[in-house]
Amino acid sequence: MNPIPEEFQGANGTIQPGRYYGHGLPYLPIEHYPGKIIAIEGTDGVGRSTQIQLLREWLEVQGYGVVETGWTRSALMQPTIELAKSSNTLNKLTFVLLYATDFADRLEKEIIPALKAGFVVLADRYIFSALARAGVRGVDRAWLRSLYGFAIAPHLVFYLKIDVDTLIRRVLSARGMDFWESGMDLKGGDDIYDSFRAYQSKLLREYSSMSDEFGFRVLDARRPVDLIQEDLRRHVQAFLSSSDISVDV
Amino acid sequence: MGKKKNALTPTTFSLLHATDFADRLLYNIVPPLKAGMIVLAERYAYTAFARDVARGVDRRWVRDLYSFAVRPDLALYFRVPIDVSLDRLMARRVKLKFYEAGLDMGWSQNAQESFRIFQGKVLDEYDRLVEEFGLSVVDASLAITDQQQMVRNLVSRQLERPTLVETAVNQ
Repeated sequence: MNPIPEEFQGANGTIQPGRYYGHGLPYLPIEHYPGKIIAIEGTDGVGRSTQIQLLREWLEVQGYGVVETGWTRSALMQPTIELAKSSNTLNKLTFVLLYATDFADRLEKEIIPALKAGFVVLADRYIFSALARAGVRGVDRAWLRSLYGFAIAPHLVFYLKIDVDTLIRRVLSARGMDFWESGMDLKGGDDIYDSFRAYQSKLLREYSSMSDEFGFRVLDARRPVDLIQEDLRRHVQAFLSSSDISVDV
Repeated sequence: MGKKKNALTPTTFSLLHATDFADRLLYNIVPPLKAGMIVLAERYAYTAFARDVARGVDRRWVRDLYSFAVRPDLALYFRVPIDVSLDRLMARRVKLKFYEAGLDMGWSQNAQESFRIFQGKVLDEYDRLVEEFGLSVVDASLAITDQQQMVRNLVSRQLERPTLVETAVNQ
């Protein structure tokens, strides 16, 4: 049996799925839990929720127990984060810490119990969106990785990759650009279009640089929904059929 | 927010306090330091190092977490035996607070008993911090005037040391 890595280690197979990335939660041993974490990552407007909904239905039909978790959805932190977003009194550091608190709450109260009970956890964004957003805002990357050392490495991470031009057209035709998605807090100017383009370009670069570090499986998100879903299912099927997870029939 | 019965885990407890600390650091600590003022902080990152580790959080993780903090020029640790602190708290208040007594850990249903267990672990961690970070220990079981005299001596000695700014100006 391999030991839990002493430090948060980078890519190239040093991260073991289902184990803590770093120092972990000493009071919550998670070894040999049967459940699996499948994370879907990607910037806003890339189609994550749609894919997760379809994947969930498909998994459930096959008899898997599925639990969904999503960014800022913790009972503990959601109201606080909404308040902070609307008031503008927080800076990048306190934002990072609030997001980490939200993640920790969901990890301990939703994700770990689900893993213990043998569920498939579908994560709509995992820690990587937080790392990308904070990295773009100049927060120290080594510190961020140590901070999230209590996170569990997912068994699969899918990155829905898109280029900034396609993303812009999609976001505009769907709902328009909002303050945070446009990185307006970075005060790069008053023009929301320019700000959105610059911010999302930086985010996409940040995701790409994490792709090797964390072993993302990259899917081209410019394709039609059903083609992306086919890819997802093929990867997930191959993984689950080779794993020890049981199906309740 | 959050501090309802059993709502916080050791890690979310730790992270929320770090968030609060980051906010105070950036708004209340760094600006006066830049203005050349003296900042008196009642509790600092060391409180988190002792309290969060007593709750089972990883020692290195919580130190890394607070690496954005400014290292204090002088850190005073008022050391007191558990019985004395319990007596003082009981004299002041009727009831021990939930997290202060470590009741979230489920070690004992009895608040005083839980406090004793929890604070025992906290004090052990503080002893470790004295070594690691060179905290100046003040015997808090002494009379207040004696303690204050010690504090003033320590502070005076600290203030007589040339600061970086003065050193730079004098050169």
